[in-house]
Amino acid sequence: MTLTMNRRSFLQGTAGLTFLMGAQGITAVRSEAATGALDVNHWLTIRADGTILVVHPSTEMGQSSYSTLPQILAEELDADWADIEIEQLNADDRRFGNQLFGGVLYTAGSTGTQFYFDPMRKAGAQARDVLLQIAARAWGVDKSTLRTDPSVVVGPDGQAAGYGALAALGADGITVPDVDTVALKDRAQFRIIGHDVPRRDVPAKSTGQAVYAIDVDVPNMAYGAVLRAPVEDEVPLSVDDTAARDIPGVIDVVTLPDGVAVVAESLWSALGARGLLQVEWSRTSPFRSSNSDATLAEYAAAAHAPGAQGAVWAEKGDAPAAIAGADKQFSQLYLSDYAYHGQIEPMAAVADVDADGHGAEVRAGTPTQSWTARTVAQTLDIPVEAVRLNMMTMGGGFGRRTALMQNYVRDAVLCSRATGRPVKVIWPREDDVKQGTFRPAAAQKLHAGLTADGKLDGWYHKVATPSVIGFFNPLRWEVARPNDVISMRGAESKFYGIKDFRADHLIMDRHARLSPYRGIGASYTAFAAEAFMDELAEAAGRDALDFRLDLVKDNPRGRHLLEKVADMSGWHTRGNRALGLSFAGYSSSMAAGVAEVEVDADRGDIRIKKIWAAIDAGLIVTPDNAHNQIEGGIIFGISMALSEKIDIENGEVLQENFYDYEITRAHQVPEIDIYIAEVDAPPVGVGEVGTPMVSAAIANAFYAAQGKRLRHMPFTPDRVAGALDT
Amino acid sequence: MTQFTLNGQPVEVENTPDEMLLLVIRDTLKLIGTKYGCGAAMCGACTVHVDGVAMFSCQMSVGDVEGAEVTTIEGLSEDGSHPVQQAWIEEQVPQCGYCQSGQIMRAAALLADNPTPSRAEIVDEMSANLCRCGTYNRIFKAVERAAQEV
Ligand code: FES
Ligand code: FES
Repeated sequence: MTLTMNRRSFLQGTAGLTFLMGAQGITAVRSEAATGALDVNHWLTIRADGTILVVHPSTEMGQSSYSTLPQILAEELDADWADIEIEQLNADDRRFGNQLFGGVLYTAGSTGTQFYFDPMRKAGAQARDVLLQIAARAWGVDKSTLRTDPSVVVGPDGQAAGYGALAALGADGITVPDVDTVALKDRAQFRIIGHDVPRRDVPAKSTGQAVYAIDVDVPNMAYGAVLRAPVEDEVPLSVDDTAARDIPGVIDVVTLPDGVAVVAESLWSALGARGLLQVEWSRTSPFRSSNSDATLAEYAAAAHAPGAQGAVWAEKGDAPAAIAGADKQFSQLYLSDYAYHGQIEPMAAVADVDADGHGAEVRAGTPTQSWTARTVAQTLDIPVEAVRLNMMTMGGGFGRRTALMQNYVRDAVLCSRATGRPVKVIWPREDDVKQGTFRPAAAQKLHAGLTADGKLDGWYHKVATPSVIGFFNPLRWEVARPNDVISMRGAESKFYGIKDFRADHLIMDRHARLSPYRGIGASYTAFAAEAFMDELAEAAGRDALDFRLDLVKDNPRGRHLLEKVADMSGWHTRGNRALGLSFAGYSSSMAAGVAEVEVDADRGDIRIKKIWAAIDAGLIVTPDNAHNQIEGGIIFGISMALSEKIDIENGEVLQENFYDYEITRAHQVPEIDIYIAEVDAPPVGVGEVGTPMVSAAIANAFYAAQGKRLRHMPFTPDRVAGALDT
Repeated sequence: MTQFTLNGQPVEVENTPDEMLLLVIRDTLKLIGTKYGCGAAMCGACTVHVDGVAMFSCQMSVGDVEGAEVTTIEGLSEDGSHPVQQAWIEEQVPQCGYCQSGQIMRAAALLADNPTPSRAEIVDEMSANLCRCGTYNRIFKAVERAAQEV
């Protein structure tokens, strides 16, 4: 589509050239401009003073998209990064939607850079071309004689004009190049992409100035603390709030669908009064009979059952026939427990419902403008357009905040509506754990055949676990069913070329609240697959690396990673060092890893001495941040492999806080050596690629150390002791 | 009524003496750089200095600091120029950043006490604070970098 800029599509002199319709705080003039012919290029505004406003369409939770995505646009615009101002997208404006999620504004699955790379490059390139045209017209020269330096157009006779000055000249009658054919830079010309431009948010985060949802303070704000039903689906039947209301500062007690909230002048009062509420809860929920041990046993029985089949997740050739006809057959069962996100900022939101109830302003840290606006709109029965959002930077996400219905936002909205005040609701840590939405427990049965000369001959991976999408986003499940990428990712083993391959999802009943978790399905499917791969290599009498190299003949980039990590770790000369190899990844990003461990057999303690990782995530936009993300992902993998486990008894979560849900601390962190391959391929994401391979690398290293297999994650001291006793 | 010194300024608050120091700092005195993460001495997001010592402010009552000198991240330097903060920026430590005020306050107290800590001493001291984003190795490097400056 080619568009011609007209008078309505730029701003005369004072304000500059509007390519982009910002989502919030737009003046009437700008609104008019953006409803004109230029809404294809809604990403940026070049102001007359030379500053350039670029929209950040995702939300920031630590992954650095707030810096990375605008850098992509700035690169093709050939802007000076110092001129770029970043505008957070604060509305459910689907023009900026992530098409990998059907156009929903949803920051998840390590897809931000992967998806926005093309549209934001093109938006920048279009704008640069328009600036060249303005300069060519002003100087009476041909556009082809012009070039750009950062934020400056340079002419054939050394003329130079800043982007702001050119924007102020206006773009009347200028044709915007077609978004699909606009010329893009060669990689060799990149000045920003692939270079270490410091993150924009780091200074504020190093000085206590970054404002998270939990920090928001608005005039006349009250605080809400919610006593929530101890078991899913229970409701408050009666409430005695006499003592609670006697606490100084208490404003009101509000009954919610699944809880009772105290709203007070301070969080301290609200929490104190909450402790005095007497609530009688219903006792009819089927979740009352939920017990995590029984759940895992139920899933294991399903995975184990002879001939068990499920929804086919991935298939090539005929795996069952190949295995049946192979010279040798093997199978093994792997288990993993519920796991909790442990983001350090607990859930918090501030809502201010308009007096007439027809609109609301909400400040929250979530990965999705779309579902957050929807939550508020549904709660108040108002149109989405009547919701005024402020997307706050998040103190970690890891999947915790991804649900279609965002309960903590809803709580804040209901408390505000009931009291006529802006209300900040905070779920203290214990609430966040007990009301958590977890990575599901899973039982996985793997079957494989081997040829007489020790080669893999058929692979069948069965995953018995519930549908995560079915719970956390029923709308999406309607479309996706029965393919649940959250439950199943990784089981496709797509980095290996296995001739006869099948992976099934045995869709189990759900006995707990569920959500995505860093690495989603791959956080446990890669554990099972890569631990099993090691067992097969041993059964075949082969080296674990050689056995895998057979399977990457058609994946030279994957082969390179395996060879590289072997080199880095001294795999071939490891002698007595207890090394374990693993090869997994996330979506299209690949990771080969080696862990070195030391086992304290008396204490059942596994100490990770070192991890080596070789990563291929396509083009890397921000190398230093990629390194930070990958390292963090690896540490997350260590944490979930060694200690993270949620137990449920009679429908209640037993854990409460970081004292009984332990995540990795500084003293448990090994040296981590990361190699990132430089490849000529599109970017595919770094946020989760480090995580999935870690657990199997540890389990395989444990085998190298002790000659025993760990098949139940996490590898807690009692399980380690149990394995050593067998 | 409790009187103490906060970031070099005398303050007087009317909160009941048993109120959690962390909440008084955040909600009454409106200094939000100090974070709530667990309320249970497990995460260190709430770390402040009380008379120069790194303390979990979620484990103290405001009455406990009567007459004491309390420093929060906002008071560590006027403009983010404290060597630990500069090292954090140089090493690009933060991801989500939520834990980092606490990490920086703990690191600053460590260096004030021991200007040349060994790697083992750094790791030991910093083990009181959690970082779910996994920035630990950068934290170690940043503390070492800052140690050369202080
Ligand atoms: S909030 Fe004080 S230690 Fe976690
Ligand atoms: S940077 Fe996110 S918890 Fe430390």
